[in-house]
Amino acid sequence: MSDPVTTPIPAARRGLSVPDLLVALGVLIVGALLLIGTLKIPFGINAYVGPRVFPMIVSVGTLALGALLLVATLRGYRAEPAAEEDSDPDAQPDLRQPGIILGGFLLGSLILVPLGFVVGTAVMYFSVGVAFGERRVPLLAGVALIVALVTYVAFTRGLGLSLPAGILKGVL
Amino acid sequence: MEAVTSLLAGFETALTPLNLLWALIGVTLGTLVGVLPGIGPALTVALLLPVTAQLPPVSAFIMFAGIYYGGMFGGSTTSILLNTPGESSSIITALEGNKMARRGRAAAALATAAIGSFVAGTIGTALLTIAAPAIADVAVKIPASATFSITVLAFVLISATFGSSPLRGLISLFIGLAFALIGIDSQSGQARFTLGFPELLDGIDFIVLVIGLFAVGETLYVASRLRKDKASVIKLDGNANMNREDWRRSWKPWLRGTALGFPFGAIPAGGAEIPTFLSFTLEKKLSKHPEEFGKGAIEGVAGPEAANNASAAGVLVPLLTLGLPTSATAAILLGAFQQYGIQPGPLLFATNGDLVWGLIASLFIGNVMLLVLNLPLAPVWAKLLLVPRPFLYAGILVFSTVGVYSLNNSVFDLVLLAIVGVIGFLMRRFDFPITPAIIGAILGPVAEKQFRTAVQNSQGDFTVFFQQPLSAFILLIVLAALVVPQVLKSRAARQGATS
Repeated sequence: MSDPVTTPIPAARRGLSVPDLLVALGVLIVGALLLIGTLKIPFGINAYVGPRVFPMIVSVGTLALGALLLVATLRGYRAEPAAEEDSDPDAQPDLRQPGIILGGFLLGSLILVPLGFVVGTAVMYFSVGVAFGERRVPLLAGVALIVALVTYVAFTRGLGLSLPAGILKGVL
Repeated sequence: MEAVTSLLAGFETALTPLNLLWALIGVTLGTLVGVLPGIGPALTVALLLPVTAQLPPVSAFIMFAGIYYGGMFGGSTTSILLNTPGESSSIITALEGNKMARRGRAAAALATAAIGSFVAGTIGTALLTIAAPAIADVAVKIPASATFSITVLAFVLISATFGSSPLRGLISLFIGLAFALIGIDSQSGQARFTLGFPELLDGIDFIVLVIGLFAVGETLYVASRLRKDKASVIKLDGNANMNREDWRRSWKPWLRGTALGFPFGAIPAGGAEIPTFLSFTLEKKLSKHPEEFGKGAIEGVAGPEAANNASAAGVLVPLLTLGLPTSATAAILLGAFQQYGIQPGPLLFATNGDLVWGLIASLFIGNVMLLVLNLPLAPVWAKLLLVPRPFLYAGILVFSTVGVYSLNNSVFDLVLLAIVGVIGFLMRRFDFPITPAIIGAILGPVAEKQFRTAVQNSQGDFTVFFQQPLSAFILLIVLAALVVPQVLKSRAARQGATS
């Protein structure tokens, strides 16, 4: 690494990438949905610029940019995945791990009110830990509960936020 | 010398024991998040916004300013000891600084980064003190049509200069603008894009967007391609300090880095990346030890780190005087102002003088605190790099949940957070920069308001943007910013093909 900003040359002409194609089509669909939504906005009254004009600009702009992206993708352009601090750009992407996090997050959100903040966020904490490869299950579960409990006490007592107590109602 | 009087009054505000405490909390938190990977100053301010709702605005902003500056200081620690730059502006520091650390010169690298940041931050804040009121005086006279054109200029420069592709930057910007449309239109009262959900009538809170795109998106993405090998943290013996030779070789790069960083921060042109790189190239050219570059030259840490921090001070000039954020953190600070019912812009110095001057004074104080926190305490911060990643990322997600849930005590917001998180994941996977989306979401409503005011003032004449001279001139620059790089690129490609 002699040159500090050796930005990777956009990987052109490596053949058509299906995921990239789906993204370009996705942007076009979002643009189309925005346009349909824009046309449903009623006209404002007594104004030169009603509530429709700006959404119209945004939706037409999105459609145009989506079309440009589609053209670029069809000509062989593909995206370089971002390099983050703790990620390995050469690693084989594993979609199960984000799936575990999302599943844990949604489960935690659903039980947040009935079972309480502590149980809900502990479930979230645990699922992220598992997805990041922590295999010491009792340790992870213990830390999850402690973090959730400390957060709950600090934010409700210290900062006066109201978070759902759930099953711990009366105990804390 | 009106600025000096105002600044002294600002110090009176900032030097109260309680505000000093908030500044200390801010710089400590800022250094902490700067050191820890996966979390930056933008995200931290967003996470703290719901929590600080009960604080008086002055105290909250003093803390936020501390987080902002602290993040710049802390980022260098990670770059030097772990060789993983948290932001693009720390890439250069990571390069030279980590090489220095590998040669056993970690203490000197950390010290020149910290002292350089202090020098640059202090000079930058002084320049802000002088420049901001003067610019605000001029900015008051700008008509609405030109204000809109300036916003468009900021949009285009920020999205087209971040990341590898202008097209992807602009798509990211439009994602942000689209999010901002959701909710009741403030001028006509019409509901837009609510899909029938009453929860969406108030729009999607920008905090949900910021935390979703940054924290949740990052967590999902890192999990999908986790680095299996353990990162090697370089051990630091003792404090960060420099010898006489280091001082001699550092002071000029600090000053030159500051001179490069401040103006680049103040114009909306993609943040600290360009000045840090320019500073590195400049130091390499001027150095008496060019052979050391690439192997750990102290000038290559001192200059870019100073440029980085000076640009952070520069970013506050357009934010405070025009209400224009030029970085993600600045955009969130703008959102924070809006949440307190304050609109940054030319009138801010007149209407909220005590707040602005208290904020600026606290930047000077925060810089001193950061120097104290970072020189003797460097080994403590270095220890933070050893936090196991599963526990770190799990903790970030839990704090994100608290931040979002406590906005409205609504599970609906948490589901939104997950959806935005998936979008953030896809944006990283497909190389769309995040910052333009954040700027679009926060500045979009402002831009729409200016657009409508301008057309309203001209009795419905949409050509007003091309007729008002200043506005037309700025739009011409917008056009040039979009077209010229493309032309240059295709010409270079053609020449490359023929030769």
